[in-house]
Amino acid sequence: MEAARATQLPGELRYIQYEHALEETYLPAIRALISKDLSEPYSIYVYRYFLYQWAHLCYMALNPADNSLIGVIICKLEHHASHSPPTYRGYIAMLAVSSAYRGHGIATALVKMAIDAMAERNADEIVLETEETNLPAMRLYERLGFLRSKKLHRYYLNGNSAYRLVLLLKSSAGSDVNRQPT
Amino acid sequence: MQNFDVPAPPPPNVSHPGVVVTDITDKFASAVKTLSPGELVKDDHFTLFESVSALEIMDPKMDSGVLSEGESLDEEYDVSRLLLPEEILGIIDQLLCLEMAWHLGYPLSQTLLTSVYVESLMNPRPTSIDEANFTRDPEICEKQPVLLFVLRAYCLGMLKSCYLVNQLVKDELYYEEEDFVTNTYDRTLLNDIPEASIIGLLQKARSDLRAAGNVSKDISAALDLRLELRIAFMRAIDLSTLRQANPDSLKMPWIQMRGLMEHIEKNHALGKSVPEAFSTKLQRRLASTMPPRPIVQLSFEECYGHFRRLFQDGIEVTDVLKYSEPQSLLTFVSTFQAKKPQPLVFIRTLLQSLLFKEMVVLGSYSIRQILDHDLSLTVLPCSPQIDPANDNIEVPSDPRHQTAAQMEIFRQRVAESYLDIFRIFCQNRCRVRRTLCHSIQEWDMLQADVEEIDNLLQINLDEKPLHTERGEIGYALPLSSWAYLYKLRQMEWIVQLGFELEVYQPDELAGMYWYLNYLAKTRAQHGDRIKMFNARSLDMARNRANHRHPATPNSSNNGGKKTAATATLSAAQEREFAQSKSYIRATMLDAACTWEFADGLCCLYTALGRVGLVGPSSSSYRNDLLRYEIRTKPFAAIGLPQRPAFDAFARATDQPDTSVPELLRYAAGAVAGARKGYEALAKTPDAQAFCVGAHERWVGGVRDCLRAAIAAGVAVSTLQGAYEKALDGAAVGGGGEGEGEGRKIEDSELDVKLKMEIPPPGKGYHDWWVVPKLTPLP
Repeated sequence: MEAARATQLPGELRYIQYEHALEETYLPAIRALISKDLSEPYSIYVYRYFLYQWAHLCYMALNPADNSLIGVIICKLEHHASHSPPTYRGYIAMLAVSSAYRGHGIATALVKMAIDAMAERNADEIVLETEETNLPAMRLYERLGFLRSKKLHRYYLNGNSAYRLVLLLKSSAGSDVNRQPT
Repeated sequence: MQNFDVPAPPPPNVSHPGVVVTDITDKFASAVKTLSPGELVKDDHFTLFESVSALEIMDPKMDSGVLSEGESLDEEYDVSRLLLPEEILGIIDQLLCLEMAWHLGYPLSQTLLTSVYVESLMNPRPTSIDEANFTRDPEICEKQPVLLFVLRAYCLGMLKSCYLVNQLVKDELYYEEEDFVTNTYDRTLLNDIPEASIIGLLQKARSDLRAAGNVSKDISAALDLRLELRIAFMRAIDLSTLRQANPDSLKMPWIQMRGLMEHIEKNHALGKSVPEAFSTKLQRRLASTMPPRPIVQLSFEECYGHFRRLFQDGIEVTDVLKYSEPQSLLTFVSTFQAKKPQPLVFIRTLLQSLLFKEMVVLGSYSIRQILDHDLSLTVLPCSPQIDPANDNIEVPSDPRHQTAAQMEIFRQRVAESYLDIFRIFCQNRCRVRRTLCHSIQEWDMLQADVEEIDNLLQINLDEKPLHTERGEIGYALPLSSWAYLYKLRQMEWIVQLGFELEVYQPDELAGMYWYLNYLAKTRAQHGDRIKMFNARSLDMARNRANHRHPATPNSSNNGGKKTAATATLSAAQEREFAQSKSYIRATMLDAACTWEFADGLCCLYTALGRVGLVGPSSSSYRNDLLRYEIRTKPFAAIGLPQRPAFDAFARATDQPDTSVPELLRYAAGAVAGARKGYEALAKTPDAQAFCVGAHERWVGGVRDCLRAAIAAGVAVSTLQGAYEKALDGAAVGGGGEGEGEGRKIEDSELDVKLKMEIPPPGKGYHDWWVVPKLTPLP
């Protein structure tokens, strides 16, 4: 993500939820927008893996003038059981805003929509990874209340490390942080 | 989109006995018509991993067969082409850069295996040294460029070194792809060809090079240095397997390489690079589905810097074999791995292999020796509990026999977790922190388990509870106590690595320093407890010696009553008690420094929060209780010390009843205390600081902490001054109405006119001490 560009927004953006019927119209644009910031492309299966199963957790920001894609967020929500206790974990897989429209809070608006949608579906927590060098993304998430839970060494193919960011929505089962030590 | 209207290609001609061919084209075509494009038929086994590894045919970034217009599939570089001597030098230096890129964690496919010369040596797989040539055709061989034998010998030495490094890494704990890529893509890296014959070839190449008359002296010397480097590299790895040898002799090839590298850097400019001798197309021939990816190209300056550090680390790492006691060993490993930049995986795995291999520690010691040594240094100086003579008692009813048996159970239980602490430190820093988070769970259970052994042994050894002027302290519980000490240290490291890895946001710093303070204070208190029991053991031992009783456990106890006894212990026993005493003193001093400094920074960051320089984000999703839950998750299940309740944590961090001036006064005192502590620590001789063999690195770290404490003192007084000034300004400004009624000015209303910068890791004095830089604004 680059620093804010001072492009005037074309009026009030349209935010819509993705659905399978929109694939033909928007999937090519979604791929193009997301792969711009990726060193390695995702195959079409990666997009379909998310969009087909969690279309309700994907939101798009559209230009009101021509309905073209300006921003997108893609998520999933699943039971995560690799450690105990198992959690119902939301995961923000991809987030992108067209560089000309950055700095207007579009990404924040998309993330909030995704958080709300996952919270409504009873998610316990929301996690994501972000490149250590991607300060704007980290600032965005941290302003919303996400915490860095761990650092992942050389997580990306380009050799950069990542931070895992977590937003806990509910107290985890069995945890009682407010218990007074005996 | 592909045009599917073209006529179908003819079916492949499959003829094999036992294979019945059925054409399913029509069935398949009609079946897919029932799906709309993009509709996914997905079973539960098709995971995200599968979808990420899927390839799209005809996408040049995924399909390794896609060629652009006029592009050839294969590399057409001719390895028998003419090469100038300076080009050979240039290629070698390019190879050095690629080799280093591999050491840094990039795959061979994007580094050394992009060399056309390397590929021709390795494919087809050579089975003898003679076959390992750029061309296997003897006629063409004859016509090879004059100095190609230098490149050949160099490459063979380099590949064999890579093979040896790869084997070393694979034998130890590392993370594939995260730390290092051991994948050789079905290239064997010359494992069939003995090292001796490769070294022989390198030596022959050196003498042939000297004999070759038609090469400029400078280039000839430059090439010779590089051949010598290859020989030394193999020798360094070979020697490192002799862990019982004198460590200084293991260093020789590393010292030699460090010197060679200096010269190599100086004459690098003589070479002429040959970029066309490297190609990403070679990746298509490797056992991989990945389409060609770019060559990882380090600059020669970067490459030289990394090699210089690699060789320096290689020199230092062998010193680990100079064992004195387990605490110095731990200091050696932890300070060595804390170096910035961290030693490469090759060195980190080399350290692991020196530490522990084939059940032997440091090439010479049993796990038991190290463990018992550690116990005697910490909680059981001169204790009958770890007396090796107990092993000789065969009568099962004899308490000594039972003690020996219980201690063996103890060692079995803890050995793996104990060695793991050393292994964990050999990982990358992110992994160290995360693995310690798991390790403390193990040590928490281990502490409970060994406490049962303590309970059995206290009956066996007829121990009495300790009474002091403070009342009854209870039983010594040495094994549990020992485990607790290690658990506490690991918990502190987890928090400290959080600072180092920039895991905490500025508004978390006050809280995390408070928690660090809590842990360090707990360790200091625990040290105090151990000290009391060790003092009792000393009294008892002196009594025993005084009464000239045989040292049987049953007669060794006087119920904890202190008796004035004259010292008649042997010099060795006195030394053991004294050493344990200095260890406890050292760990308590270290804990005190940590607790004071952490306390000071906690107060400073809380004060900075009050005046609005460190502000929490305000978001409707933010919930401080849940944030605390995530942050303290690794500690949630730990029985002792228990995670503080959120309310207690929040109160202790925010200190709502303490004013900013009081907070800052407190911070100034604490930071000054830490500073004095670090000054004292820095003066401690290595044997008493338990950093024998690592003193330089250790004292460097202590001095960095000292500098950080001084900087923190400056920050505190800057804020003190700015706060007073702001308060005066506010009183004057709001004087008219405020003064009479004595309206209290809120801290958040004050403008302290300061700019705060939090230095990122590597930019402050010490990564574990995040000290804010405060500069007055005009």
